[in-house]
Amino acid sequence: MALLQYSLRKLFYGIPLILGVTFISFLLMVYYGPDRTFELLGKNPSAEQIEQVRHQLGYDRPFLLRYAGYLKELATLNFGFSDSTGERVGSILKRTVPITLALVLPGFVLGNLAGIVLALIAAWHRGRWLDKLIMGGSVIGMSISFLIVIIAFQVIFSTPYGFNWFPVRGWEVHDLASYSRYVTVPTLATVFVTLGYNTRFYRAVLVEEMSRDHVRTARAYGTPPAVLLYRNVLKNSMIPIITRVMFSIPLVVISGSLLIESYFGIPGVGKVTFDAITTGDQPILKAIVGLTAVLFVVILLLTDILYRAVHPRIDLK
Amino acid sequence: MSGGRTIIVIGIIGLALGLQTGCTDRQPDDTAPVKIYRHALDGAPTNLDPVQSANIYASFLVTNLYDTLYRYKYLARPYELTPNLATGMPEVSADGLTYTIAIKPGVYFIDDPAFENGRGRELVAADFVYSIKRHFDPQTLAQGAWLWQNRIQGLDQWRADGADYAAEVSGLRALDKYTIQIRLTRPYPQLPHTLTQGFAAVVPKEAVDHYGREFAIRPVGSGPYRLLSFSGVKAVLERNDRFRREPFDPAAEGYREDQHGFTGVRQLAGSVPPLSDRIDVHFIQEEAARWNAFISGEVDHIRAPTTQLGAVLESRSPIRARPEIAEKYHLLTPLETGFVHTDFNMDDPRIGYHQDPAQNTRNKALRCAIVKAFDWTARNRALYFDLAQVFPGVIPPVTPEFDADLDRSSVSRDVEGAKALLQQHGWTPDNLPELEYGFAASVAERQSFEQFRAFMGDIGYPPEKIKALAYASFGDFNRALKQRKVMLITTAWYMDFPDAENTMQLFYGPNEAPGSNSANFRNEEFDRLYEQSSVMQASPERTAIYQRMNQVLIDECVSITGLSRTFVLLWTKNATMYPDLSFLSGHFARFVDIATDRHEAE
Repeated sequence: MALLQYSLRKLFYGIPLILGVTFISFLLMVYYGPDRTFELLGKNPSAEQIEQVRHQLGYDRPFLLRYAGYLKELATLNFGFSDSTGERVGSILKRTVPITLALVLPGFVLGNLAGIVLALIAAWHRGRWLDKLIMGGSVIGMSISFLIVIIAFQVIFSTPYGFNWFPVRGWEVHDLASYSRYVTVPTLATVFVTLGYNTRFYRAVLVEEMSRDHVRTARAYGTPPAVLLYRNVLKNSMIPIITRVMFSIPLVVISGSLLIESYFGIPGVGKVTFDAITTGDQPILKAIVGLTAVLFVVILLLTDILYRAVHPRIDLK
Repeated sequence: MSGGRTIIVIGIIGLALGLQTGCTDRQPDDTAPVKIYRHALDGAPTNLDPVQSANIYASFLVTNLYDTLYRYKYLARPYELTPNLATGMPEVSADGLTYTIAIKPGVYFIDDPAFENGRGRELVAADFVYSIKRHFDPQTLAQGAWLWQNRIQGLDQWRADGADYAAEVSGLRALDKYTIQIRLTRPYPQLPHTLTQGFAAVVPKEAVDHYGREFAIRPVGSGPYRLLSFSGVKAVLERNDRFRREPFDPAAEGYREDQHGFTGVRQLAGSVPPLSDRIDVHFIQEEAARWNAFISGEVDHIRAPTTQLGAVLESRSPIRARPEIAEKYHLLTPLETGFVHTDFNMDDPRIGYHQDPAQNTRNKALRCAIVKAFDWTARNRALYFDLAQVFPGVIPPVTPEFDADLDRSSVSRDVEGAKALLQQHGWTPDNLPELEYGFAASVAERQSFEQFRAFMGDIGYPPEKIKALAYASFGDFNRALKQRKVMLITTAWYMDFPDAENTMQLFYGPNEAPGSNSANFRNEEFDRLYEQSSVMQASPERTAIYQRMNQVLIDECVSITGLSRTFVLLWTKNATMYPDLSFLSGHFARFVDIATDRHEAE
């Protein structure tokens, strides 16, 4: 009951956040975003035709009315039709979000798990050659542009210049085998790039935890390294780890990975978002921004609940 | 420690195992001996409604999914019109005002739930009338009305009266089931050309009504293909089995052994298009990904990215592929049907028209000095791999009216002449105006700007007085053009049809912004000649008028022009085809044949 009350209260407190995010982003969209009018006009438009198109797009309506309409769309989850394709925004998201999830989840999970493992190793061997090797590798991973990594991995794994094992691009997924075929190179590229950031972050957290008294005491009592790292270090470091992982989720779910989706020809929500930004497709942008804000509020709530799960002394108040 | 490694290794092994299975896995339709032609485009369409097929990407799909009355012959160069849905070329009245066009009977739309019982009905003349009317309906956000605006009797009035589809338009009628009559307000010799475009594709009213806004992604046409799936990265088209049977006749399509012999298309004589069972159209904007997809065999045809031309070509003059490329691929290097140019905004008193006649003369001298300072040879070398063709004026080499003997001084760099001109008219580094060079933001455009600034530096133009006006998107740039806010306008014009009228109209006074005359050029002689020529059929007299208009533009220094790019087209030897990227069209795709043993070879 306390949990339910806490959840409802937290969701209620999230409303100003959603209003703030949607208001600012809508303001930017309307006044600074691309104007689709001139994309949609023919070659010799008259002033009257320009006005007609602006009217069709709703650009001539007062800002507050348009914003109120946006809130109504968000409340009813009915964002209308894309300005570009004419397809229902709901259908677009329904089709593309699962693809992005399937695409980025393996890299997200592997990148975080491997990051934690490497961070544990580095933290345990702090200051020694293994630590330096892992940290050096991390810096290299962080230093190389994602774009370069993608192109290099495509060349290495997917062209006759390299192994030519995987398809360069596409997403013809109909079973686990085809899924593996299309997701492997994007996953390897994602892991390569995120591993450095994750490892460095987690190492810093773990090193701090390892310097605490209870760890020193456990070590003095001869606790085996694996047990010590898992029970005394990792478990007690879960708060920052959870925070990092949870707050990455909205970006993973909604924004996807634009570069990955573009270069590998994967029809996910990241590419849809990017196209909507560049073309000024406001119905799609409104949906993405609004849903991301809502998701953040939900994530905030879930994070608090998870904090309590891993750290029972934290009170849900 | 070992736990971490284990997780990574397990993950990679798991994926690799999946890969092994994936390599031997075939999609159900891949097992059959189907012919799949895989075409790559460097951009993606967002909308497949013919009334919004304004770019090459949408047009490629629309002209394969729908029928147009006419198309260009597959192989003939210079381009020649040929009937498509029409039974023959139009009958034109003696005054050039009435066009009567018969269409083929027995042409059917694809089966679709939009029709009664889901069975596609016969396409009739009234469908064409309906399809053109849609361009004049304000509700459709149509982009092709400019082709017929103020040209067809009663059509503009129909729009003004509220676009009631039940109301007849006197100049656009279906005389019977298979006969269309178009009556013009004045002669319009380019009319048949406009009827080749995706804009003129014929749609059924039932489908438009049935799908509403989603008609844009649910095409229901009578073209050689039907849409199987469509996303931002790929479209899959499958053969329309109800498409009319018209065997391929190489001679009728303009076959010439010396031009087309290497392609093998003659062997396809008698085959019935569409020759491929399926077309997979990959939209790959990223050059590296497009190239990788091509060399790994995932697409059959691409326009080679400029960044890869060094790896493709052994020689630029004559253009010759490297042996390893020539062994695997066919190469074709046509000139684009368009050109790149930088116009001056004549409405800007700093560089264009000025109330004071003396300043007006000085401004013209400044424009001419800039034109003289521009180095087309360096531009071609730096940005177009030295493959483009530079020409004076705005009549590109692909048009029949092109004059190869025209004086080239307007495209020959003359730094001393430019300096002298500035000095003669009292221009000094102190009083030269600030130049604003506008473009839609991209790396290539930024490079163009920097190079332009360097060119101007050579004639003493202070670099700090040359500013970049980069717009985030083409839409933003276009808005600024329509609002006359850009001083120097760099654009590429893709011609709509092979007739210099299509480039001349870019400088016709009444077409000034928001029209297509972004330079806002107004010249009495030019406008008079344009009006005179616009109603003339192709003839030596009309060509002479076009060339005089071209000279007016050169003399007035209204534009730094021009350059036609060379497209380097590559296609696999499994494909028997003659690709064509011209005039917003994809009609050639129906003639593409793919060796069926390809998949077995894989």
